[in-house]
Amino acid sequence: MPKLIIDDIPVEVPPGTSVLEAARSVGITIPHFCYHPALAIAAACRLCAVKLLDGPVKGIQMSCSLPAQDGMVVSTTDPDALKMRSLVIEWLMLNHPHDCPVCDEGGECLLQDFTIAGGHSRRRYVGKKRTFQNQYLGERIHHEMNRCIECYRCVRFYQEYAGGTDFGVTGSAGRVYFGRFAEGALESPFSGNLVDICPTGVFTDKTGRFRARYWDYEFAPAVCQHCSVGCNTSPQNFQRELIKIVARRNDQVNGWFICDRGRFDKEYLNSPQRPRDPEIGGAPGEYRLALEAAANRISEFCLQNGAASLAFVGSGRLSLEGCLVLAELARVVGAPFCYFTESAAAQGSLAAVRLLNEQNAARVRDIEKAECIALFELDLMEEGAMLSLAIRKASLAGAQVFRVGGAREGEKHPLPFRYQEVATVDEVPFEGGSKGVVICGAGGKSPELLSYLASSGAKLVMLQPGPNAFGAALVSLERKGATLSDLVESGQIKAVVCFEADLPPWLLERVEVLACADWKRGGLTEKASVLLPTTTWVESNGTSINYEGRAQRFLRSRPAGLPLKGLDPKYYSSETEAVALHPPRVHRNYIPGGAEREAWRVMADLMLELGGEPVNEPLTGRWGKLRDLDPEGEGVRIYDLVSAQDLS
Amino acid sequence: MDLPLFRHNRRDRSVAFKEYRSEGGFEALKRAITGMTPAEVQQTVIDSGLRGRGGAGFPTGKKWSFVPRDLPGPRWIICNCDEMEPGTYKDRVLLEHNPYSLIEGMTLACYALGVRHGFIFIRKGYEQAAENLARAIDEAKKEGFLGERILGSEHSIDIDLHLSAGRYICGEETALINALEGKRPNPRQKPPFPAVKGLWAGPTVVNNVETLANIPGIVVRGAAWFKGLSMNPEGAGSKLFCVSGSVKDRACVELPIGIPLADIIDGPCGGMRLGKRFKACIPGGASTQFLTAEHLKVPMDYDPVAKAGSRLGSGGIIVFDQDHCLVEATLNLITFFARESCGWCTPCREGLPYVKEILARIEAGYGKEDDIDILREHIKYLNYSFCALAPGAMAPLDGLLRHFEDEVREHIVKKKCPLKK
Repeated sequence: MPKLIIDDIPVEVPPGTSVLEAARSVGITIPHFCYHPALAIAAACRLCAVKLLDGPVKGIQMSCSLPAQDGMVVSTTDPDALKMRSLVIEWLMLNHPHDCPVCDEGGECLLQDFTIAGGHSRRRYVGKKRTFQNQYLGERIHHEMNRCIECYRCVRFYQEYAGGTDFGVTGSAGRVYFGRFAEGALESPFSGNLVDICPTGVFTDKTGRFRARYWDYEFAPAVCQHCSVGCNTSPQNFQRELIKIVARRNDQVNGWFICDRGRFDKEYLNSPQRPRDPEIGGAPGEYRLALEAAANRISEFCLQNGAASLAFVGSGRLSLEGCLVLAELARVVGAPFCYFTESAAAQGSLAAVRLLNEQNAARVRDIEKAECIALFELDLMEEGAMLSLAIRKASLAGAQVFRVGGAREGEKHPLPFRYQEVATVDEVPFEGGSKGVVICGAGGKSPELLSYLASSGAKLVMLQPGPNAFGAALVSLERKGATLSDLVESGQIKAVVCFEADLPPWLLERVEVLACADWKRGGLTEKASVLLPTTTWVESNGTSINYEGRAQRFLRSRPAGLPLKGLDPKYYSSETEAVALHPPRVHRNYIPGGAEREAWRVMADLMLELGGEPVNEPLTGRWGKLRDLDPEGEGVRIYDLVSAQDLS
Repeated sequence: MDLPLFRHNRRDRSVAFKEYRSEGGFEALKRAITGMTPAEVQQTVIDSGLRGRGGAGFPTGKKWSFVPRDLPGPRWIICNCDEMEPGTYKDRVLLEHNPYSLIEGMTLACYALGVRHGFIFIRKGYEQAAENLARAIDEAKKEGFLGERILGSEHSIDIDLHLSAGRYICGEETALINALEGKRPNPRQKPPFPAVKGLWAGPTVVNNVETLANIPGIVVRGAAWFKGLSMNPEGAGSKLFCVSGSVKDRACVELPIGIPLADIIDGPCGGMRLGKRFKACIPGGASTQFLTAEHLKVPMDYDPVAKAGSRLGSGGIIVFDQDHCLVEATLNLITFFARESCGWCTPCREGLPYVKEILARIEAGYGKEDDIDILREHIKYLNYSFCALAPGAMAPLDGLLRHFEDEVREHIVKKKCPLKK
């Protein structure tokens, strides 16, 4: 372990650590642009210069590419190093357009910060600035090449890290250009990370530009709810509108990055079509009245048909809290409950949860360090795109990747790594399996098939059909949940009460929907006699469990309610007079459209209505340990809380 | 005088294979293959004191010795013929007259280091030289000096010619390796040095044309003979000097290393042109400091020139006379370097255009007193760039401010170039 001294602070770091990282470990940030922890060292920007006063090397050195060695005495504040760093900033500023006021990066710009920090405030260069033509890079990313400081982060991420081929660097000397060969939308499904990784405003998020500055945003740690990988994100809200989603680091899940679906698929959260007010028989009503109406319908139905002909339906979209309270609600009424609507899908999810344990459930590290990986009959880029980057890392390090069963129908993106096609999983040479990983989708697979895959001895990734389908399957096993299609086909069930559930049309036809709570509209909300709006993950606190059994907490990042932008004039003109005033002069003591509640709270309120006990804390019993889960931590794997075997 | 490199040269054409052969060509290879182990060849090169002729002057035998002996997998030798340093044209003259010494030298190097496959990385503009080399490779193969089972031995060696797209940065060995791999010619981080991890991650030696062309002579006549060629007790061998500028006869000549600068100018070059006085010269290509009239007696060898504050470099001497404006000359060189920066690191990509802009202003009469300080900052801090291009580019500027600061100040004070009418 090399021991060195940085600015009079003794530091001991593992061998191979750079001086920059060693300094970081004791809280010293050495300015840098091209250095990024997830990318290979470039040593191109030369901003991280420090002076070595004593030791095996001396003089000015680039701390990002200098391995820490015994006996080094490093000064980050030596006048020589300061001069070098201020010159680097001056050089980068020769051509930078200084257009911060009209740049969407302003306020969250590394170049801005280090320019101010470096003390470069007077322009000495009197020559012309170089200018470039920008490119159209699609509807999501805006290109502004004049701002470029040539740190090569974008191209290193796009090509080396994400395996993209349609974006790169051209030109040389002062004409280095980062773009595509010809204009056009970026093809990589990870292109949005260019926005995060660019230290200045070359790449900005076109879907949310010029709406607010960094300091205006409401942030909170969130977990992406698009697939079962559970990437960590930070939604950036402004006036109850989700403007942007950026990646949040979690080395156990997504590293530094997220996929484009997780970043850009966000329109549904701000959608004016979202149910905002409770509806009774299609007419808007107050929450309290809608709740009573729902309770009355349930009671009446149970009196006439018996509680056993009613089912409470949830889904893998519910948080763990929602899943647990749903079971409780069903118990109070005495009715069955389910999280899965069709038995084929249910079998796979439940079997996967039964099969996985602390030893065989692959972590992201296991994938990255694997020597042999088999992709079994899945569209990885659709079901868990971020895992493809972990596989790419393994592949670049020499792992063999096999694809069993060929490409799926309708695949949109090529896999960003080399692989061989094989017909059956038996052809994959796992050889003992300790460094092997099998990746498959759990939904729709038979339990026998999944057990067979598990018998290879390789570590397992079984992607679930919903962001918290793992959690739903666990609760289903623990509390003895049913599957809706089984109940309906046996003729037992006549009516359902749904919480964030998705029913296929054939099932929907055969049941009455007494009440439905959801944040999106669909066949169910159309058919429901009472509709109770719920909040999405942006407006909710909750816990979800990803494909590997990792429980992660997400927090509310904005209050429930309609976004201020595009707010219906009825909310800011007087209710009695037809005159719309500008600026709005009508004051209210509630948030327009703010009647949504988290699904578990709706369930708890309904339970109270139906004569149950109040629920203040949904995580009880064995789940109580998850209450103080750190939303900014790495999450915890649930296998020591609950082993799936003792649930079955 | 013995001229190992140019002794096969014909006046106006390339030497033919038969002629080269009859004058003792390929004897060195024959002797090595039949009577010397690879280690003996390498030891002879170490003993000869041959230093890299590309510009840095690193001892060739020492460079070879960095290649790990026992590493499995292929290893490579690359001949660097990306000669693009302004003022340097020795490799072109050598190859246009005689491609065989290089082929023989390179084959010997491959033999010494256990290399199966060598590459000649040649600049696009050198069409005649490339044609000669292609012909020489074919002929050598036909005669059994190259290819499968050389001269009936169990050694097989191939040499391929790679005609590059041509950038100055490709002369930097790691950038050259990247270019040869089909990547952008950005230099690589060192360490690992190419001798350990170079082309396709294998151990790689990159040598200059002139360096490799010296090897047949060393092998056939021995290290002591090679050392004896020098006029300088510490030096070894002969050196190609290519002279341009204000001399009567601009020529590429082979001379003993260590010959005084004045003897090159007054000897083979026939002195200065009529009415011109020697003002300064760049001794070894554009990336070396100016030498002035006080340095005319300096022996042209690596260490003495370094002691005089410059570098022997590639031996490309550019001579300036009393009517040349050295601000303009430096501006011209910096313009070249600014254009040829690969664009990888900030100091080189942004600093060189900055310097160029300042020099252009001074030359045009718009210079400011502060400009000299800014130039000095660049001379110091451009040393901390990624590769040697930017520090090399600062060498003439450093020389300018060291020896001709008065001339620069005159530009600023008079608000015009004092040498222009």
